[in-house]
Amino acid sequence: MHSSLPARVPGALSSSAAAPETVSSLSLLASELKVLFQRRRTWAMLLALAAIPVLIAVAVRLSSSVPAGRGPAFLDRITQNGLFVAVTAMLVSVPLFLPLTIGVVAGDTIAGEASLGTLRYLLVAPAGRVRLLLVKYAGALVFCVAAPVTVALAGAAIGGLFFPIGPVTLLSGDVVQPPEAALRLVLIAAYLSLSLAGLSAIGLFLSTLTVVPVGAMAATVVASVVSQVLDQLPQLEWLHPWLFSHYWFGFADVLRQPVLWDSFASNAILQAGYVAVFGALAYGRFVTKDVLS
Amino acid sequence: MSRPWLRWMPAAAVPAVIAAGVLAGSIPVWAGDPLPEKTPAQILALLGAHETKSFSGTLEQTSELGLPELPAAGATSGPASAGGAAGGAASIVELLTSQHTARVFMDGPAKVRIQVVDRLAERDIIRRDSDLWFYTSKDNSAAHLTLPAMARDLPLSQPQTPAYPTPAYPTPEALANRLLAALDSSTEVTVGPDVEVAGRTAYNLVLEPRTQGTLVGRAAIAVDGQTGLPLRVSVTARGQAQPAFQSGFTSLSLGVPEDSLFSFVPPPGATVKEVQLPPIPHRQVTPDNVPGDAVPRGVPATPGDKAAKPSVTGSGWETVISIQAAEAGQGSLLSGSLLKDPLLAQAAVVVPGGRLLSTALVNVLFTDDGRIFVGMVPPERLQAAATAVAP
Repeated sequence: MHSSLPARVPGALSSSAAAPETVSSLSLLASELKVLFQRRRTWAMLLALAAIPVLIAVAVRLSSSVPAGRGPAFLDRITQNGLFVAVTAMLVSVPLFLPLTIGVVAGDTIAGEASLGTLRYLLVAPAGRVRLLLVKYAGALVFCVAAPVTVALAGAAIGGLFFPIGPVTLLSGDVVQPPEAALRLVLIAAYLSLSLAGLSAIGLFLSTLTVVPVGAMAATVVASVVSQVLDQLPQLEWLHPWLFSHYWFGFADVLRQPVLWDSFASNAILQAGYVAVFGALAYGRFVTKDVLS
Repeated sequence: MSRPWLRWMPAAAVPAVIAAGVLAGSIPVWAGDPLPEKTPAQILALLGAHETKSFSGTLEQTSELGLPELPAAGATSGPASAGGAAGGAASIVELLTSQHTARVFMDGPAKVRIQVVDRLAERDIIRRDSDLWFYTSKDNSAAHLTLPAMARDLPLSQPQTPAYPTPAYPTPEALANRLLAALDSSTEVTVGPDVEVAGRTAYNLVLEPRTQGTLVGRAAIAVDGQTGLPLRVSVTARGQAQPAFQSGFTSLSLGVPEDSLFSFVPPPGATVKEVQLPPIPHRQVTPDNVPGDAVPRGVPATPGDKAAKPSVTGSGWETVISIQAAEAGQGSLLSGSLLKDPLLAQAAVVVPGGRLLSTALVNVLFTDDGRIFVGMVPPERLQAAATAVAP
């Protein structure tokens, strides 16, 4: 460490005083979330995500009926049941829109502070680099939860407004009542939040590499696109189970009867692996980094 | 602070731990006691006497027949409504070439549910007593079929609707029964070392053709040591190390599944088609039906089942089935409609005397005059059969 700033040793921090430590960690997280959700950028992204189901619903409402089996999956079910607006919107936003917003938030975590010149003040304040990293990642995770939930809520709301809400036909052909269907929607949102945890960790690591936030954001989005492209190539079949985007579309397993939990479990293990690897990389980079700005 | 490389330790350690974990996971764990030794005959008896009628499990099928790879999205975006022989053939090719997963629920022979798990879609086969339902989520369509009283005790793969694009699903038990039904002196039966399938220890019954004149190197049936239930069937082409086709359980739980699973009511908005079961002519079970029987199975999928009686030459593993061009142009119509399918047309190569659809286990020859020859034999034998049985 050649930094002029005191980089803290994590062990020394945690052993000093436990009780005030946790309080300040929470307040640190609270202030991080406050900053995150007071940004116009964050609200603009959430609004853009909420616009997806609205666009879908309006388009389906204005057009004639969608022939079965055409367009994105579930699109033809919307006119019968408004809840499918939420499902279709989540399906449509998985490949690009959700990774895009996550890339912006996760890529900004460290690099954003560095570019604003506020990173060194954060480190001078009794935050500690490890804790700062953890708090930043927690903030990104909160956004990972907020983004799919926004799509689901907006979809259910606009679907309920435009179309009838009734029993939902699952992929297996079985029919469930609206309360259980709502539970399945929540499960899908949870699945997507989990799916984005690995990408957030990648974004966090990339963000420690640079002081240009746009670079980290773009690199994160590119990583998600590359992963999805690789997942389409049959020649790389051995690689597929290792790609963080491999189970992204597995959320459809929640819509089977009985629920198929295999992809949920596989996805959780895979994302945990990515969080561990890129978390460790981010730790290695961040605690050895010369913070000059 | 003096040793910054220490900070990079986790970044090196985490991948190392993951790699170690993966390696440890890939080494087969020896599960408990090895099974008591049994002769092939005893295992066949165990298999024949098994009474496991109720279970739920997940099946995984892999097949590397050497057909062109389908893009992953092809299954969802293709026109699903195409009925008839061409659509049926495409869906059969898809089922055979793709690796896919299916959930199987069974409670006795009369209550069965099979869910073929597709990407963002599902194909279901539900049977309760004499009611047989097919459901495809892709286009939200269902087909209903009432089984005749006689067919009730048949395994599920038998009562299939020829006109419906979804072929009945080949479970390990159905495949094993097909294989064993054709068992004769042309096959050498041995017992391999015990295998582990779906967390259960199983006997490994190996069937090896005694002849060199077939594409099949060997077939293996994993028979559960406790219950005698066939857990996995794999067929390996001659000279290959990896199975060209395999269907086996990845998880299995013995016990009665929830009864509501076997009740199916078409969901609102679904298009429901009532299918009449055509009289099934006496089916000949030959080794050719196993498991690459996609092509012969697609054969009855033509309307008007008057002409084109398949004839059989050769025996055992070297059997060649030929479908003659009928006077009404039935055979040529059939091969024409089969070759109209872009996938099959692309896969079939031009050979002297016709076009050949060649896979690791099965060869199909479409002759220029509309006859079809099918067999688990090298293409030369099909051509020889075609010239020998000139019309």
